Amino acid sequence: MSDSSRPLLQACDVSKSVSGPEGRLEILSQVSLQIRPGESFAIVGASGSGKTTLLGLLAGLDTPDTGSIELDGHALQQLDEEARADLRRRLVGFVFQSFHLLPALTAEENVMLPLELEGVSAARERARAALDAVGLSSRRRHYPAQLSGGEQQRVAIARAFVHGPRVLFADEPTGNLDQRTGHHVCDLLFALNRDHHTTLVLVTHDATLAARCDRRIELEEGRVVPHDVSAHA
Amino acid sequence: MKMLLLALRSLRREWHLPELRTLAASLVLAVVALGVVATLATRIERGMLASAAELIGGDIGVSSPQAAPDAFVDKARQYDLQIARTASFPSVAFAHQQTQLLDVLASGPNYPLRGTLELADAAGHTRKGHAPTAGEVYLDHRALVALNLEVGQPLQLGGRELTIAAELVRQPDGGQLFALAPRALMNLADAEQAGLLGVGSRARHQLLLAGAPDAVQRWRDWAQATTLPQGAQLITPEQTQERMRTSFDRAGAFLRLTALLSALLAGIAIALSAQRYARRKTSEVALLRALGTSRRRVLGLLLGTLGALALPAAALGLLLALGLSQLAWLFASQLFGSLPTVLPLAPSFAAAAMGIAVLAGFALPPLVRLAEVSPVAVFRQSVTRRVRRFDVLYLIPALVALGLIWSQSSSLQLAGILAASLLGVAVVAALLAALLLWLARRIAPGAHPALRLGLAALARRRTLSLIQATALSLGLCALLLLAIVAPALLQGWRQELPADTPNWFALNLQDDQRTGFEHALAGIGGDQLNMLPLAVGKLTAINGAPIDQLHFEDERAKDWADRQLRLSWADALPPSNQVIAGQWQGAHPAQAEVSIDTMWRDMFALKVGDTLSFNVGEGSLDAKVGSIRKVDWSSFRVNFFLLLDPAHAGNLPHTWLASFHLPRGHATQLAQLSRDYSNLSLVDVDSLLDRVREIVDRVGNAVRWILGFSLLAGALVLAAALAASAAERRHEAALLRTLGARRNQLRVAAACEFALLGLVAGLTAALGAAGAGLWLGHAVFHIEGFVPPLWPLVFAALGAGFVVMLLGLVGTRKVTRTPPMRLLREG
Repeated sequence: MSDSSRPLLQACDVSKSVSGPEGRLEILSQVSLQIRPGESFAIVGASGSGKTTLLGLLAGLDTPDTGSIELDGHALQQLDEEARADLRRRLVGFVFQSFHLLPALTAEENVMLPLELEGVSAARERARAALDAVGLSSRRRHYPAQLSGGEQQRVAIARAFVHGPRVLFADEPTGNLDQRTGHHVCDLLFALNRDHHTTLVLVTHDATLAARCDRRIELEEGRVVPHDVSAHA
Repeated sequence: MKMLLLALRSLRREWHLPELRTLAASLVLAVVALGVVATLATRIERGMLASAAELIGGDIGVSSPQAAPDAFVDKARQYDLQIARTASFPSVAFAHQQTQLLDVLASGPNYPLRGTLELADAAGHTRKGHAPTAGEVYLDHRALVALNLEVGQPLQLGGRELTIAAELVRQPDGGQLFALAPRALMNLADAEQAGLLGVGSRARHQLLLAGAPDAVQRWRDWAQATTLPQGAQLITPEQTQERMRTSFDRAGAFLRLTALLSALLAGIAIALSAQRYARRKTSEVALLRALGTSRRRVLGLLLGTLGALALPAAALGLLLALGLSQLAWLFASQLFGSLPTVLPLAPSFAAAAMGIAVLAGFALPPLVRLAEVSPVAVFRQSVTRRVRRFDVLYLIPALVALGLIWSQSSSLQLAGILAASLLGVAVVAALLAALLLWLARRIAPGAHPALRLGLAALARRRTLSLIQATALSLGLCALLLLAIVAPALLQGWRQELPADTPNWFALNLQDDQRTGFEHALAGIGGDQLNMLPLAVGKLTAINGAPIDQLHFEDERAKDWADRQLRLSWADALPPSNQVIAGQWQGAHPAQAEVSIDTMWRDMFALKVGDTLSFNVGEGSLDAKVGSIRKVDWSSFRVNFFLLLDPAHAGNLPHTWLASFHLPRGHATQLAQLSRDYSNLSLVDVDSLLDRVREIVDRVGNAVRWILGFSLLAGALVLAAALAASAAERRHEAALLRTLGARRNQLRVAAACEFALLGLVAGLTAALGAAGAGLWLGHAVFHIEGFVPPLWPLVFAALGAGFVVMLLGLVGTRKVTRTPPMRLLREG
């Protein structure tokens, strides 16, 4: 499954709609894409274009109405929520726009969470190593409220990487940060992507950030804009 | 006005919030519980007073050496009360060349106003009746036997010839267990015409009144504010026999205790919901403050919203309380016996006021503090408000709880015990929970993953876990007190009157009849036979000073000095007697000794070493006060105010008083015994025992009803505790699911979390309930040797912990199903 020529993640004719007060609303329509192992991939588009929905489907947080999604050879639409959770735990890491750290846990305990879910015994040591990697070893006993936004996002990145996922999904990772801090956080994400050979899928409306990715697609009203091309390698 | 409209609009928009609904439901429940219980308690109390009134023959009265002054009668007429006059005096009756001293009651035609006069005709058929008409008299069995008379025959009483119209079987007797002399009931006009009530007579007059409770109360208030004639005293239902009074007091304490615990439970639910509401509103208030709304206006808006919620909820609670009370009366008259028909409104209105006080007391602190949220909090949630180490506002719920305990228990002792117990439970629960959290941090790393997650969840919500554990402990403690300790106390109370409690007394047994009577009684199934000597005498002097030359402060003293006294003697201190001064005389003291009851000490200002002189029959006896006793008059044993030593009193002329137990249904055989020993007077105290047992049963039924409310209140506490952490749990569950946690992992973690919480709460509650039960049993209900049922408490506590776990799981079921996509949508 680790063959680098095979796509790690592929979506084929994926559509998703939701029912609202004014009937069915199509959020995604006929989206297809392929992402190779170790690749960095950006999904861009305006607000409401369906970026986050697509990210959720690719990460197995939800299932498409039609079409198929394969993550590391597993057809996500054929798996139930429990099996998808199992897959996420083993293969996936997340970074959110609002960090989503648990406020009552210290930085170190937040990073330990995925390892605790896995039942890993040396969780604390590995969490410390991960915090060290993002330059926060001195802040490991701090609670989220005692950290700046950039620091919180670095803790979130350490949490996303600590269990060695094959793919990292980042939803507007710099959306809540100033330009300079955002830049540092992005550097960190790409460094980890490079050093650990982790596939990076990120949703952003920041053109500069998208430009740093190997490839990108643009969504508009739930459809892939046809002029999408591969970016620089 | 503008503010009120704004508050109403805010309430309408926020009505979907679970904490506001819990807040409203808790208030409704508090009002309903307090209202229904107070109404039931009032009705039961009135019922008890009514049955006490049956013992007196009226709702209230005045007893005096002369006929009550006209002012008392006029006032009674003004309040539209029924009036009956009676007079009691000793008098000698003649018939068939025989004489007999009788206790005579002379009464007007409408006596008794309450209770019944039970009469028997010549054939032995019983009926209910009123006082005899002029020229007629009723005699009791002892009088008929003593004078060798039958119904229909004449006798001479007070110089008049009267016809015995019926045998007097039972009469309202003020709750006296038995009279000294045989009794007669005659017409008051006859007694007056015979000059039996004139100047110098030893008659005691009674003015008895009856009517609507309010009117009786008004008359009572008036009479208590008026100077009573010398030697006069009010006759009130509360003054009826000590045995009944203890039962009334205990019954009232039980009912108030149960209502109070339900209300406190509702208070806890209110406190938790208000806390949650305040937390939810923090960012909104920060925004309002940032947009320039003054602190005062924010506070006004918050209080307006609370008020807009409280008033309709309290009104609904009030209506429900009235409705349920009425329903209870309609459908449960068998449970509660003959309740008075008028639905008392005041208790429900008072309950609504108390409910609002509970809401205000428990909900105000977090809301008032909420108004202090800093506008900076719109940027940074951690900067919400100044953290205080000690917040004086949080004394308000404690004060409201204390006030409620005080108002409901109306006894400093009961209030103190409850407050101390609940405070103890709260402190122990908080300490245990803190210990658990401390342990959680240390155990978690090496524990099973699910347990680790559960422990981590507890530790994550440290403050909330402490609040939840304390609230649940208090709630469970209240429930255990109601469900296990209260029935055990009732059982203990009931056991004070075991099935073989002596239910018959035989008076007038002679020395030579003792052995025969004992055999005959055993033959018809009687047991628990106890015989005591009984001499009838009169107090003649104290420390050598003749009694009629002495003046006493206590009004009762003169009355007792005039009376025929019952004297007995014993070599050992009888059960339910306790020597509190001096030393018990034993069988052979050097000189004659008497042991007196505390009432005698107080009435005659006596002390150990004083000498009392008695005339008994033809002889006299000087006895030194050797000891002073405290007597438990609520026991159904025969007790005496005066106990002499057997060595010096044994030769006084006396008869024997026998008490024994005879199973129900053996009364026919007893009739034969009664014919064989015709001089005996048999007194059945089953009815008195039944009345006490009936009170215990009524209270037991009422407690069961109220337990239903408490269970609801307990469920609300748990719901409020769950709701308080629901949003946090949902967010957490979504995050953990996103990170790959299995649903089962979340469920087991939640189960571990709630099981630990339930365990802490259950065990603390069991300890608290046992402690409070022990304390209440001894200090308030005076049940000798009462031990709360420990094992049932422990099992119930473990069960309750299990139920907390199950309910917690059910409550978090939705949470474990939180779709992980939610987190991405939240940003």
